[in-house]
Amino acid sequence: MSEPIIAIENVYKSFGHVKAVVDVSMEVAPGEVVVIIGPSGAGKSTLLRCINNLEPIDSGRVIIDGVSITDAPDINEVRAEIGMVFQLFNLFPHLTALENITLAQRVVRRRDQEEAETIAREQLAKVGIAEKWDSYPSQLSGGQQQRVAIARALAMYPKIMLFDEPTSALDPEMIKGVLDVMLDLAREGMTMVVVSHEMGFVRAAADRVIIMDNGSIIEEDTPEELFTAPKEERTKQFLSQILHQ
Amino acid sequence: MGLGGNWANRTYHWEVNMIAEAEKLRRGRALPIPWERIPWWVIILSIVGIIIGWSVLTSETYLRVIRFVMGGLKLTLQVTFISYAIALVVGLIFGLMRVTKNPILYAVSTLYVEVMRGVPLLVIILYMGYVITPMLRDATGGRIDLQGIPAAVLGMAICYGAYLTEVYRSGIQSIERGQMEAARSLGMSYLQAMRHVILPQAIRRILPPLGNDFIAMLKDSSLIAVIALPDLLQMGRLYVSRTFRAFEGYNTVALLYLVLTLFLSLLVRIVERRTAIE
Repeated sequence: MSEPIIAIENVYKSFGHVKAVVDVSMEVAPGEVVVIIGPSGAGKSTLLRCINNLEPIDSGRVIIDGVSITDAPDINEVRAEIGMVFQLFNLFPHLTALENITLAQRVVRRRDQEEAETIAREQLAKVGIAEKWDSYPSQLSGGQQQRVAIARALAMYPKIMLFDEPTSALDPEMIKGVLDVMLDLAREGMTMVVVSHEMGFVRAAADRVIIMDNGSIIEEDTPEELFTAPKEERTKQFLSQILHQ
Repeated sequence: MGLGGNWANRTYHWEVNMIAEAEKLRRGRALPIPWERIPWWVIILSIVGIIIGWSVLTSETYLRVIRFVMGGLKLTLQVTFISYAIALVVGLIFGLMRVTKNPILYAVSTLYVEVMRGVPLLVIILYMGYVITPMLRDATGGRIDLQGIPAAVLGMAICYGAYLTEVYRSGIQSIERGQMEAARSLGMSYLQAMRHVILPQAIRRILPPLGNDFIAMLKDSSLIAVIALPDLLQMGRLYVSRTFRAFEGYNTVALLYLVLTLFLSLLVRIVERRTAIE
């Protein structure tokens, strides 16, 4: 296995008395697609947010491409390499789709307006909504908004993409479009960490599935192994719940 | 020529409209006149304004009062606009300090807000005029002299800066947390995210209270008369004490303030409409 691009070592994170992440260690290799599943409140999203320091960790280490995020000289440089897609899209409502995608390119990557717009249009075309460049987020459907959000993250040319339940706020008919974009990304070799219960995506794209409960990793394996022969009792319980819904 | 063309055009539109109206009537579903959407207050105010304006402008006495207080009107506007501009900047800076995690900056701005909000503006202006100004003059050997307008402007700006600090704070805090997170996840610094993502949204949201304070400030500028500045109110009082025509004198002052505030509130509405997010 090559040098991991994400290394999480004994990470703890609490909110007051609630222990959200308890002694979690894991590694992600470049180009790997890892999906984290588990019951709600298991700490999946918190763990994901610890990777780009949106939640500062209490103890342990998170190393991104050889740089520890807790003592990185400039956390913003590290974050620029990690794209993140949120459950509720979090597009900037006062900017058009195109402006949403050019903003960080200009102020973080220091690209000029023309270059940023060219890249933004490429990314919009890639997620399949090139014609929506001039729309404000409020004029777009949920699925379109999420695709703009993915384009916004991709335009930074990140090495890693984090997806925090990207389809759980979408109407059923919108989900496929977003998952297709994610599948394409996975096939292109993007390193992805995804919190999602879309089993279709897990089977089609995941190299590895991690099951979390009560802040800890219970089990991790390839999707085939995990779905056919889970080792832990809690994994079996959880899988039977989500697979028979 | 332009007039003629315009007129013909308008007549044409009028005819088209009439035909459309007739059509609706014939079909028996005429649109009701949207009574609730007519800005009644504007109509009533306009009628009253025209009556008062007519009687004022045809009255030699009122014209004399207006000419007398004109200089005061100019000073009132000048002090209001400059003070408001400074207060906007002061409020923004302290507002940003109110939302940081830095305990020192937070404490400083909270102290500022609580003190300035708790002291009447009249007292602040008196302080600026009769305490701070002489002290500064003595301490600097006369090089810094705030006597007069600068003292008044600073007093108003410091006081309203405290109110605006709270307005900015509430605006910033009303923006969903996800906005800051999205901006930071893209690699923007805290200040970049503030400037490009949070503030543009927050300021749109706080335009109504900002406009409110602008109008309140125009009226409160009448307090600067206490440090002997010849503003609108002061000139009105001067006129009354000279002529004993209190009725006409204060009518004129009240009317001029009203005209100014109505004008400002119209301005605020226009700005709000222009900056609304589609």
